[in-house]
Amino acid sequence: MVSAPTLHVVSTELAVGSFAMAGVAFVLAGVASHGWLNLKRHLKLADHVAHFALAFGLLAMPFAMITGIQSSPGEGVDHPLLINKMFLGSAAIGLALGVLLTRRRLGEHVWSDAWGRRWQSLGGLSAVGLVLLTASIGGTFTRGESLLDLLKLPYETVPLMPVWLSGIVLLVAVGNLLAMRRERTA
Amino acid sequence: MRRAPVLLLVAVLLSASSMGSANPNGVGQGTFDAQCGGACHGDADMNRSSSSTVVVNAPATAYEGLPTSVSVTISDIETTVSGLLGVFLLSDMTGAGDTPADAGWDILSNSEGGDENYVEITVAPGETQRTLTWTLRAPSIGEHPLHAAIHHGTESGEEAPFFGASAQPALVEVVAVPENLPRLSSSFSPPVVRDVGEPSTLRLDTVSVQSVEVEWRLVGGPINTAVVSSTGPDAWTFELPSSLQPTTLEWRAHLGGEGPEQTTPWFTLQSEEPSWEVDETAAYVQSMTLLFVFMVAFMSLHRRTVAPQEEKHDAFEEVEY
Repeated sequence: MVSAPTLHVVSTELAVGSFAMAGVAFVLAGVASHGWLNLKRHLKLADHVAHFALAFGLLAMPFAMITGIQSSPGEGVDHPLLINKMFLGSAAIGLALGVLLTRRRLGEHVWSDAWGRRWQSLGGLSAVGLVLLTASIGGTFTRGESLLDLLKLPYETVPLMPVWLSGIVLLVAVGNLLAMRRERTA
Repeated sequence: MRRAPVLLLVAVLLSASSMGSANPNGVGQGTFDAQCGGACHGDADMNRSSSSTVVVNAPATAYEGLPTSVSVTISDIETTVSGLLGVFLLSDMTGAGDTPADAGWDILSNSEGGDENYVEITVAPGETQRTLTWTLRAPSIGEHPLHAAIHHGTESGEEAPFFGASAQPALVEVVAVPENLPRLSSSFSPPVVRDVGEPSTLRLDTVSVQSVEVEWRLVGGPINTAVVSSTGPDAWTFELPSSLQPTTLEWRAHLGGEGPEQTTPWFTLQSEEPSWEVDETAAYVQSMTLLFVFMVAFMSLHRRTVAPQEEKHDAFEEVEY
């Protein structure tokens, strides 16, 4: 039987590879939507590649997370790197979901609005950046080093909020989401 | 609308393969029955016999309620690429209710820095033999057998899990304590773990003891003597030096009195880096919060960008192929 660490490597490569491709496509789409470098004609291609790659990476992420938890030593999240990895991964999933849901809601019109095209390409790129940062923490945890160590990021510091504060922020976010939905259906 | 259940089913099926892969990274030290040697890998009937040899050594005689030392030697070790090997000390081989505690033994320490009957060790490449020791408080008077067992995977990560056990148990005859035998108090329980950099002042409670001499050593190192102070009748204190890195220190005491001089087994004291703890509930809730906050915040940025309802807008209208 294939062990959890092997499956984790496979699913991680799927997720990171997809997100990396989405990142390149989002750059291309951002540039093309502004009509720069005479790339306007590639906007449709870049748009499709960016969002499909982002969606595929998003599908692969739960498998990477499940196998990652199974292959980590000990029980539970007992290392600051693992906590930060979980936070960054969650933020990346949230941002990627936001990008995809926005694309679904606005369709191709997302690229015709001046601010819309900026937010969409920057949002996609930020989601990709967060996933790459998450993968970098994984490398630091298992091998003790990572390419992004050059940035000297404070991986060992955990910005943990109390449960009550997280709960309030979560309620505000969900309330905002419902308000947006009601606004659209009104 | 049927896509969601189908996607969910596919996701469950895909993850089932990894969820069913036992515990290739081990379960850590614990108090486990031998059945766990099979149950942790699914059904015990799935196990194959390990080619390793397991021998358990114990003194033929022990005094009731006093510490004694038991060692388990595993030879011709075979295990996974990571070298993980699980070792059990057991009171019988029935598969359930067979921990030493079930037979009245009380584990004071083991050589891996714990006080459980099951330990997991990492075997270095090329290492074919390893000896582990347990220090236990003897049970009631009578003959008590002790067994040892191991379980492990294979280098290829394929095939069934492997299980092996000692061919013969070690039989320990527990006898009554002579009245004036110098000994540790039955309430004495040695510490098994401490933080790196932290010196340890230990208090020894004894019975019928007039003098105490304490020796300590790092594993494989020379034996040193600790200064022992008397703090009252049958009460003694001594200090063990702090360690600069995670390591295992062993100590024992020579007890002198009117009766025959006694030497305790080696007690193990493991030094570990201070453990890191976090409120996992807070972490999980914050993780969920971050997911929603980032999603909602991004979608809010686009609130002013409204999709045209009436006419179909084509942002790709200038596309030329």
